[in-house]
Amino acid sequence: MENKVKIARVQVGLTQQQLAEKIGVTRQTISLIEKGKYNPTIKLCLDICYVVNKTLDEVFWVEKENDNK
Amino acid sequence: MKKIKDERLVIQNLRNIRTVYIFQTIGILGILGYDLVLKGLDGMRENPLWIVFMITTVIFAYLSMSISSDHESNKIIPQKNLRISLIVLVLISAVVGYLVSLTEGSTIINGVIIGVVLFICGLIPIVYIYKLRSKRQDENIEEE
Repeated sequence: MENKVKIARVQVGLTQQQLAEKIGVTRQTISLIEKGKYNPTIKLCLDICYVVNKTLDEVFWVEKENDNK
Repeated sequence: MKKIKDERLVIQNLRNIRTVYIFQTIGILGILGYDLVLKGLDGMRENPLWIVFMITTVIFAYLSMSISSDHESNKIIPQKNLRISLIVLVLISAVVGYLVSLTEGSTIINGVIIGVVLFICGLIPIVYIYKLRSKRQDENIEEE
């Protein structure tokens, strides 16, 4: 799942490890979220947003793809 | 050892447990199958693994009920289903009890006992699924 976690994290000057420690997860989880390889729960999304001082919308919103099915 | 709080690792851990469970079940079935071939059905039942297997199967069946009650269509009326299930259960218990009492070497009391035991064993899951369905129905009504 595409997201802007990496941009938001860099904007507040945190490394993956620091962000992970603040939320209480492992660095690997943050890395996988940034790569879009792991779908976090809404609770973890909120925790990330609190740390990077942004809303869910700003970090995780992606436009719906128009596949005309 | 620290408790794992990372949700991804918790989920990964559950997946690992599922894989182990599959291997464990295959192992238990293998041992029971071996006993069945060598010692027959009664010999297999003497193995304590048989009890372990039966208990885990029953627990799994009960846990699955909460999933199937959420999965089934919302049109099911719990009270109506309870009535149908009870009628079927009474009929099955009565027929089995009657047939047992007819078999050679069994008295009417044997038939009654087996019928009652069958009824009780069938009643527990029926009541359990009824409770799950009524709970879900209440939640649906609250939502409306």
